[in-house]
Amino acid sequence: MGDMKTPQQGMTRRDFLVRSTVVAGSGFLSIGLPGLASKDAAAAGTAAFTPSIWFTMTPDGKTTMHIVKAEMGQHIGTGLAQVIADELEVKWADVRLDTPLESVANFAVYGLAYTVNSGSITTEFDRISRAGAAGRMALIEAGAKVLGVDAGGCYAKDSRVVQKSTGKSVTYGEILQKVTIDKKFAYPADFKGIALKSRDQYSLIGKSVASLDVPAKTNGKAKYGIDVFLPNMVYGALVIPRTRYSSKVVSIDDSEAKKIPGFIKAVKIEEAMGKCTGWVVAVADKYPTAMKAAKALKVKYDAGPYAALDTPTLLAQYKDLSKNEKESAAWVLEGDVDKGFAEAEKTLEMEYTTDMICHATMEPLNCTVQMANGEWHVHIGTQSTSFARMTLTGYLATVLKKKPEDLKIFVHQYLVGGGFGGKQDYDDILAAAWCVKEVGRPVKLIHTRESNFATSFARTPTYHKLKAGIRDGKLMAMNQDIVCGWMGARFGVGKKYGSDWLQLDSVDGKNQDIDQWSIGGSDHWYEVKNHRVRAWNHETTTWAVQASALRTVSNSYNIFVVESFMDEVAHAAGRDPLEFRLSMLNGKGGNRGIPNTGYPPGTPSDYYMDRLWISLPWASENSWPNYESATVGGALRLANCLRVAAGKAGWGTRRLPPNTGLGIAVTAAEERQSPTWVAGIAEVTVDPATGSYSINRLTIAMDPGIVVNPKNVDAQIRGSALWGASQIMSERLTLKNGGFEQSNYHQYQPIRLAQVPEIDVTIIASDHHPSGVGEPASTIVAPAVANAIYNAVGARVRHMPIAPEAVLEAMKKAKA
Amino acid sequence: MPQLSINGQSYFTDSPPDSPLLWVIREDLRLTGTKFGCGGGYCGSCTVHINGLPVRSCQVKLGDVDSNAVITTIEGLDPSDAHPVQRAWIEHEVPQCGYCQSGQIMQAAALLAVNPNPTTEQIVQHMNGNLCRCATYSRMVTAIHRAAQLAKEA
Ligand code: FES
Ligand code: FES
Repeated sequence: MGDMKTPQQGMTRRDFLVRSTVVAGSGFLSIGLPGLASKDAAAAGTAAFTPSIWFTMTPDGKTTMHIVKAEMGQHIGTGLAQVIADELEVKWADVRLDTPLESVANFAVYGLAYTVNSGSITTEFDRISRAGAAGRMALIEAGAKVLGVDAGGCYAKDSRVVQKSTGKSVTYGEILQKVTIDKKFAYPADFKGIALKSRDQYSLIGKSVASLDVPAKTNGKAKYGIDVFLPNMVYGALVIPRTRYSSKVVSIDDSEAKKIPGFIKAVKIEEAMGKCTGWVVAVADKYPTAMKAAKALKVKYDAGPYAALDTPTLLAQYKDLSKNEKESAAWVLEGDVDKGFAEAEKTLEMEYTTDMICHATMEPLNCTVQMANGEWHVHIGTQSTSFARMTLTGYLATVLKKKPEDLKIFVHQYLVGGGFGGKQDYDDILAAAWCVKEVGRPVKLIHTRESNFATSFARTPTYHKLKAGIRDGKLMAMNQDIVCGWMGARFGVGKKYGSDWLQLDSVDGKNQDIDQWSIGGSDHWYEVKNHRVRAWNHETTTWAVQASALRTVSNSYNIFVVESFMDEVAHAAGRDPLEFRLSMLNGKGGNRGIPNTGYPPGTPSDYYMDRLWISLPWASENSWPNYESATVGGALRLANCLRVAAGKAGWGTRRLPPNTGLGIAVTAAEERQSPTWVAGIAEVTVDPATGSYSINRLTIAMDPGIVVNPKNVDAQIRGSALWGASQIMSERLTLKNGGFEQSNYHQYQPIRLAQVPEIDVTIIASDHHPSGVGEPASTIVAPAVANAIYNAVGARVRHMPIAPEAVLEAMKKAKA
Repeated sequence: MPQLSINGQSYFTDSPPDSPLLWVIREDLRLTGTKFGCGGGYCGSCTVHINGLPVRSCQVKLGDVDSNAVITTIEGLDPSDAHPVQRAWIEHEVPQCGYCQSGQIMQAAALLAVNPNPTTEQIVQHMNGNLCRCATYSRMVTAIHRAAQLAKEA
C-alpha cells in the first residue's frame, strides 16, 4: 500500500458508452465511461473512443480485455475475462488480455490499479458483467440493423448475432466493419435494462477454461519484473542495514569496494517519508559485482531507537499493555460480558501468542527505473502500479523539491513472482530512482535473498488474552484482548495520522481509531450473546518490524486463536467440538448476514474494498447499483461447509491410528463484510517421543458463491491451505537487536513437497455473489492442526508456530 | 573470454570467473527463464542441466564450467516447448505465479531422463529441494506421472 491519505472522490460518472469508430477502414468497439475521451485521440483527428475501460473489440472479432489487476498466480486475467466474455457472448478463442500502463492520465480512466484482499472477482464481478452485457446489447442492435431484421428477434452467441426465427446471422467482426455503434446506457435509468444473464445461462462462468498465463510459465517466456533490460542499465544491490528500521548511515568506507572492477558507486539513499532508512546501495556494471561490492562496503550506522529490540521484549511489553484496560479500543461489544462471566458456572482464561512471519515470495523484490526525456519509467511486478506511482511521486517531489504535477511518472506492470501482500511497499522503487539520479543511468535494483529477508514487511507478533464463561454447557460470554502492532499507521491511515479514510471507529463510544487490518477475524460468526473484543496498538512494533499485510492479514493469527480457544471451550463444556460449533453457527442475530438479495445503499459489501473502489476518480459513494452482499445466508452457510468437511473427514465416525487426531476450524475471512465461508478438518499424527508431528490429510469445504473457474479456485484453495500448514509447522521470523534473525530459506522454512498432506477440496458453488478464494483457506489449517494435536495426544499449544518441543512440553503438562 | 555452450549455441561473456553461472545466463545472455530465488542452493529456482544433470546454477562459478560442458536451460529443453514435462505442466495447469516453475520443470525433466517410471516417493525425494511458495506441489506430482506417460506415447 502506498500513502492512502488522499483518495480522489467526487465525480459520479456511472453511465456506460458503447461506441465503435471507423479508423482507416477498421471499426473498433470499445466500452467506457463518458467524459473520458482522450485528448490525444481528438488531436489525431480520429473519433476513436480511446479510453475503453474494460475491453476493445477489433473488426477481426478479436477482443482484448484490459486487466488492471496484477497477475501473481491467481490467473486473474482469465477469470475477469471469462466474466466479460460470457456476458458479451464473444468466442473465448478470440479473447486476449493486456495491462494498461500506469500514469496520471490512465489512472483517470482505469482507476486504482491495486490487487489485494482476494477482492478482484468480488469487487469487479457486477461491473464487468454489466459492461459485457451492455456490449452484447449494442451489438445485437447493430447486428439486427445489418441483417435488416428486428433486434427483438435476435440473440448473440459465439461472436455472432443470430435471428431466432431464420437462423440468419452476422459475425461481430462484420458488424463492426459495416455500421457505427454509439450507444449510451445512462445511470440509473438504463441500467435496469441491462439484461444480465441468469446463472443457468452462463457458458463460460463456471467452466475451467485454460488459464491464458500458464503456457508462458512453462517455457521461460513469462516476463517478471526481474527480467527487464534497458539499454545502458547498471545494477544495484542493497547493503544490509544494521536494523530493520530507522538506522542512520554515519559513514561509508568504499576503499575495498573500489578495488572490485566494475564497481561504480556506493549510493546513500536519500530518506524521505520514512522510507529506505539506513539504505546504501552498491551500484555496479553487473549484478554479481554489485553483490560483492555491497559486502565490501563498510558502513557505520547510528542504529537508532530499535537497536536493542527483540521478540521476547515485544511480547513482554504487549502483556503489560493489555493490563491498561482504559487504553483499549473495543472492536466487538455485544451484550454484557462482565455480567456473563459473573453468571457463569465455569470460566476459562488462556493466553495465546503468535510469532512473526513474512511473505518470502520466490521472486525477490526488485525493480528497474529509468529517467529519460524528463520522464521516469518504473518497470516492476507489483500489487499496485497506482500506489507505486503515487509513492514515487511523493518521494521525488520531496527529495528533488519539485511540484508533484511536474513529475512525469509511468509504471510498467510485469508478472508478479508471488505477492501474498508483500508487493505493496515501494522502498525499492524509491531507492532505485535515487540511484538513477546519482549515476545517470537506468538502474535495476535486485534484492539478494538476504537483503530481502532483512527488509521484510513482517506480520506483527501478537499477544491475546481470552476468557470464556460457561453455563449449562453453553458459551455465555467471551472476551478477547489483542495486542499487536497495527499496520495502518505505516500507510497514514487513522485519525492520528491525518486520515480517517479506510478507518473504522471503536464501538465503545470513545471515538477511537481501530485498525481492522490488525484486529479482523476476532469478530467471528458464532452466536455468543455476550461478546467483547478489545485491542491495543503497540506502535513501536509497527515501525520496528514494518508491520504489514500478509495473506488474510489479521485473520491469519486471529483465526488460529479463536478456533483453538473454541475447542478448549468445547472440551471444558463437555461438548463435542463439531456439535458445539454447529450449535452456535445458527445464523441468528448479527450472524444472519444480509437476508435478502441486494442491500440498502450505504451498506458496503466490503468496507475497505468499497472505499478503494470509490477512490476511482469517476465514482462516488453509492454510485453503483447495489450488488448482492457476500454475507447473504450468514453463519448458516458456514455451518453447511462445516457439515460437509466433517462428514468427508469422518469426524466421529472413523477409527484413527494411534496418536492421531482430527481437528476442526472454520473461518469467514476476509472481513465480516466480505466473507468466504470455509471449514477444514486436519488429520495429524504426533510422535509422542519427540513431539514432532505430520499432517496426514486436510479436508476443506468452501462456499465462495459463484465459482468463475473451478480449476483455479481449487488451485487457490490448495495453495492457501499449504500456506496455512507452512505457518503452523515451520515459518517463524524473529527479531534480535532490531533486525530479523533469518536470512535465507535454510533458516526461514516454507513448506516443501515432502511435508505436503493429501488435500480433499470440496467447492460448494452457490449462486450468490462471488467472494475471494485466494486467502481464506490459509487461516483454518493452523487451528485445525493445533486442535488435532490436542485430540491426538492431549497437548494444547497456545503459540504459533507449533514446534515439536512445545508439543512435548504440553504433553508433560497434560500428564501432570 | 569464457565461452559457454548453452542450448546448442555458443555464447561469450565478459563476466569475471567468480560470477555465479546463474547471473551470466540471466543477465549476460538474457536467458531469463532461469530464475534467481535464493542464491544459496536452497530453492532450486535456478536449476539448469549441465551434461544432463540438474544443477543449481547459482552455486556454479563461471570459471568452473568446462568449456565442453553441455548446458541446457528451460529455453532449450525442447525445440518447440513441448517436452512431455511441459505438456503435462500445461495440461494440469501446474504454475501459479510461475516464478519457480522453470526450475521445477528442469528438475523434473532430469528425473524422467534417468527414471522413466518414477514412483511418487521417488518424485517427492527428487523434487524436495525445489521450493514453491505458491505451493503448487500436488499438481507437480500428478503432472510428473502424466509426463512419464506422455513420454511413452511419443
Ligand atoms: S537461486 Fe539457486 S538454489 Fe535458489
Ligand atoms: S508457482 Fe509461485 S513460487 Fe511456484
